[in-house]
Amino acid sequence: MPVWLREHSWRQTLTAVYLSLHLRGARATPANIFCSEQYLKVSIPPFLFEAILYAPIDDTNSTAKIGNGNIFFTLYKREPAMWDSLTLANAGKEKLQYLRENAVLKAQEKAKEETEAKKITKQEHKKYALEATMKLEEAERKRIEDLKEKERQKVAKELEFWKNQQKDADKYKSIQKKGELNQEVEPLKERKNEKMNKTRIPNEGTSKIRLKSTKGHGSCSIFSQNLKEEQLPAPRAAATIQVNFTPRVFPTALRESRVAEEEEWLHKQAEAQRRINSDLSELEDLKEEEKNPDWLKDKGNKMFAMGNYLGAVNAYNLAVRLNSKLPLLYLNRAACHLKLRNLHKAIEDSSKALELLTPPVPDNENARVKAHVRRGTAFCQLELYTEGLQDYEAALKIDPKNQNIEKDAEKIRHLIQETMQSS
Amino acid sequence: AASPERPQVVSHVQQALSYTVFDCKWVPRSARLLCLGSAARGTGLVQLYELHGARLELLREIEKPKPIKCGTFGATSLQQRYLATGDFDGNLNIWNLEAPEIPVYSVKGHKEIINSIDGVGGLGIGEGAPEIVTGSRDGTVKVWDPRQNDTPVANMEPVQGESKRDCWTVAFGNAYNQEERVVCAGYDNGDIKLFDLKTMSLRWETNIKNGVCSVEFDRKDINMNKLVATSLEGKFHVFDMRTQHPTKGFASVSEKAQKSTIWQVRHLPQNRDIFMTSGGSGSLHLWKYEYPAQRSKKDSEGSEMGVAGSVSLLQNVTLSTQPISSLDWSPDKKGLCVCGAFDQTVRVLIVTKLNKI
Repeated sequence: MPVWLREHSWRQTLTAVYLSLHLRGARATPANIFCSEQYLKVSIPPFLFEAILYAPIDDTNSTAKIGNGNIFFTLYKREPAMWDSLTLANAGKEKLQYLRENAVLKAQEKAKEETEAKKITKQEHKKYALEATMKLEEAERKRIEDLKEKERQKVAKELEFWKNQQKDADKYKSIQKKGELNQEVEPLKERKNEKMNKTRIPNEGTSKIRLKSTKGHGSCSIFSQNLKEEQLPAPRAAATIQVNFTPRVFPTALRESRVAEEEEWLHKQAEAQRRINSDLSELEDLKEEEKNPDWLKDKGNKMFAMGNYLGAVNAYNLAVRLNSKLPLLYLNRAACHLKLRNLHKAIEDSSKALELLTPPVPDNENARVKAHVRRGTAFCQLELYTEGLQDYEAALKIDPKNQNIEKDAEKIRHLIQETMQSS
Repeated sequence: AASPERPQVVSHVQQALSYTVFDCKWVPRSARLLCLGSAARGTGLVQLYELHGARLELLREIEKPKPIKCGTFGATSLQQRYLATGDFDGNLNIWNLEAPEIPVYSVKGHKEIINSIDGVGGLGIGEGAPEIVTGSRDGTVKVWDPRQNDTPVANMEPVQGESKRDCWTVAFGNAYNQEERVVCAGYDNGDIKLFDLKTMSLRWETNIKNGVCSVEFDRKDINMNKLVATSLEGKFHVFDMRTQHPTKGFASVSEKAQKSTIWQVRHLPQNRDIFMTSGGSGSLHLWKYEYPAQRSKKDSEGSEMGVAGSVSLLQNVTLSTQPISSLDWSPDKKGLCVCGAFDQTVRVLIVTKLNKI
């Protein structure tokens, strides 16, 4: 239950009512005061003061002053009349309720209207600001355009002037030229008709000079040209300069190359060279040179050439243990296995070599051809002719001009046909 | 924002053409320009226009059996003003435009299209015999003297048996007296080669990785000063040609201007430190080169090496959506230039305020 504030005093004039309300020590803020046309409320929990006014007042203009523990209201009456009392005496409970609600509603509506009005004014301000900036920008743009136009016109005028100058100079020259021209066309046509007879231009030149001097114009331009012709050096002695174009690992220009693939291949090669499997315990027994995969590869190649296939295989094995990423080691070992008739091993090694020879680039073409051929041979010797043929055809695709591969592929095809017929 | 102090590129006239224009050139000492190209039916066209106020008037149209790729007035005298052209078939012809039915000089110089042509010794510029150089897709660069029929006076060809690269551009330079002359050639693999015609040898070569679309010396008739080479992928290099180091060659500064190919570079005839590049995106960039405080310095072994300066962008403008493939400054009026683009339009432009630079 709120505590009612009853200590108030009031006086009135014809147009206004002055009400002083004593707050029992409570602090008031504008939020605590609620006023509508006929209803006044001050609510500072737990204190409460309300009054149904005798007659409607103008609540927008009325004021309230807070201070000194009092609120001093200045209420302007709607209709100038003297009130009998501040509040309506015989206000029933329902009337009170009704008035209260009404007041609240009215206040709410008012608030809404106010916000709406505020919104509208805000929008209008925005629009105005926008238009102002647009105008400014337009002005700026126009200024720039005008500058440009002025430039253009100035320049066009200058051009016209210069052109007229040219025209006058030209007219003079064209009069000269017309005379010369008729005489020049004749010797030219003659030259064309004499197809066999290739007259050298120096002769031409002299005949021209003769013609010109007979014109008798005497203008300095002709004379200076004569002088110049005499001073010209003879045509250069013919010579040829041979040029080389910048080599690249892959001879294609930047715009044509498949750089990504080629870079990958180069990178792989470099990697393979550098890597050495150095975690073998037997390594300490080996001499320095025997730890170098390239040296071992060379050794293997020599032994292969001499027919010592087992020795070559040993050399390649050790090399592979040291560096398992060099495709050539597997390639050569496959050849050895072929000679030794270790066909499965040959197939394995050729396959491993082919794996290492990706990505396929022109640089490793030779190696890939060899790998395919060796694997193909191994398959054929195992009588797996179809697989063998596949490899031969792959080799042919890389190197279509190789006659041996062609012949062997043909042979295999015949063999396949025979076996198919006989089975 | 358009700063009023910078040079402005003003588009003066635009002319739509009914054929593909490959090259456009001003006729010296006149307000006339030539457009060279290829008509739809596969023949070559030469059109002569004159500048009349705000439009171009067609004075003459000449049709030839083969499409024409490039042309130059560089090797002809001011009185004669003969046009030398290279066409798609490898023929070099010199025409008298007043009587164009029969060429003054004609030779089948190359087996494939002549991509680029340059002339020196004419127009009252420089000294020495007038010569024409042509660079072709067959990988050779040949120098011709109009007084000698059929055979070139110099031939730069690939070594027998080696694969050839297309030559995309050629330029003369260093023609400051009667004997000296060099030819610079750019190839599609990024090679730039400098041939000395006095000693008939290769003087310098380098590779800039991307195909070289255009090379030009800042002046043909002086001791070679600067060389600009433009390439694919929007890069161009400016070489300082005054000091050649025995191993490192010439010093250079490079700039990446646009994302697209830079088709042409042309120096302003009246100021050799200003040049314009035209790009595959239809834009033109105007550049200024600034020299360094010292143009050469000594390296650790005591040999002289050049120091490259810096390049700054003065202005750029986009005129078209198609590449601007040809560009030419007027030698008579400072700032007047013509450019031809692959949208079948030729445009006459005026660049203002070049005096203030």
